[in-house]
Amino acid sequence: MAMTADANVTFWYGCNMARHGEIVRLVTRILEAVGVTAAPAGGPGYCCGSPQEANARIAAGMAARTVEKFNQAGRDTVVTWCPSCHMNMDDLMAPVTEAAFETQHITQLLAARAERLRPLLMRQVPARVLVHAHHGFHGRVPVNTDVPMLLGMIPGLTVLDHPMRVPGHMCSAIAPKPGVLAQAHRDTLATMADVGAETLVTILHSCHRDAVALERGRAIRVVNWVHLLAEAMGLPYTDEYKLWRNADDPRAAMGAERIAATGDAAFDQLVEPELRRAPTV
Amino acid sequence: MRESEQGLIAHIRDHSARLAEACTACGACYRVCPMVARTPALAGGTPEAVMAGIRDILRDGTGTTDAIAFAGACVRSGECTAACPERLDAAFLMRLASLRVRGTLGDTPRVKTPHDPRWSARVKAFARLTMTEEERAEWL
Repeated sequence: MAMTADANVTFWYGCNMARHGEIVRLVTRILEAVGVTAAPAGGPGYCCGSPQEANARIAAGMAARTVEKFNQAGRDTVVTWCPSCHMNMDDLMAPVTEAAFETQHITQLLAARAERLRPLLMRQVPARVLVHAHHGFHGRVPVNTDVPMLLGMIPGLTVLDHPMRVPGHMCSAIAPKPGVLAQAHRDTLATMADVGAETLVTILHSCHRDAVALERGRAIRVVNWVHLLAEAMGLPYTDEYKLWRNADDPRAAMGAERIAATGDAAFDQLVEPELRRAPTV
Repeated sequence: MRESEQGLIAHIRDHSARLAEACTACGACYRVCPMVARTPALAGGTPEAVMAGIRDILRDGTGTTDAIAFAGACVRSGECTAACPERLDAAFLMRLASLRVRGTLGDTPRVKTPHDPRWSARVKAFARLTMTEEERAEWL
């Protein structure tokens, strides 16, 4: 089923993207600009089951609930962001619980609408960028070619090509393996120096939340590909997660009012330790 | 057992059997895997023997120490699929082996799964920081 010129889709942003609300917001605005109305859906209530994959009972229950909610929403396309969600939908969810929708990754959708997007990228974004590319997921969805193609439409921006690839489908997959993520970051920084890039562009959220800390003490910039499209379109945003993660004092950077809104205990136990973590390098 | 759980278990078992039957244990997937060189436990592994052990895991067997280590090392790089001379979805084969050694089907886990017991609470805490109340009501 081909998506119509003006479409109404669910944007399934996953769960850990809750750290990056501005990306969810920007994606909906970019999609709207190319004729796609997107209803965001994510968080634990729309889990693909992968956080509980070692338990078939829990994982299957989560997955079935999510497919059923998308079926009930009645939209014929679910646009994915997270590669774990995307692959789980293809491999383990839709084959078990019948899905009344098609799944398409956000990069595929925007690549298919590149000619509608191109004239909207009016603003110069002077940058020499290296795209943070993994081996994995590209075999399923060509993110390592579609994202550079989209970025290549931005005036003033130069995408620097390099064959270096990080193992895994995103950084959260390699983070638990001793030394692997740190080596990947060292390789990435060395590659940036080799090709003369001052900007590292992340494709995926789990890579972004770790890589932003590489800015500390280095004359580099780490942004997500969506941020760069937004800059070229003149859409304002703030990468608050990066601000907090790189602040000397995340508490001060966030402010007492927002900490209180989150809940003091939740901030202390769930948020602050992550923000204060040293860069993995 | 719920229908969804039965369905997932049957799906994993069916595809495990299918892929174990089709795999020739030639080891081409192992040779291109970027995690082999990064996994000290695989230092003595030979591609054919490791993949024979992976086939055994997929057939409800105990596997070998090296095969369990290889399944546990899988981070879904996907290089294996392009390398497979049988044109199998080797990444899915390894995903199934990985799920099985983690105890997904109820067996005793042979590999520890990284698990954040506060994942859901953490996601919601960050959502309260980056999304408005109205957005959370609509998006979560």
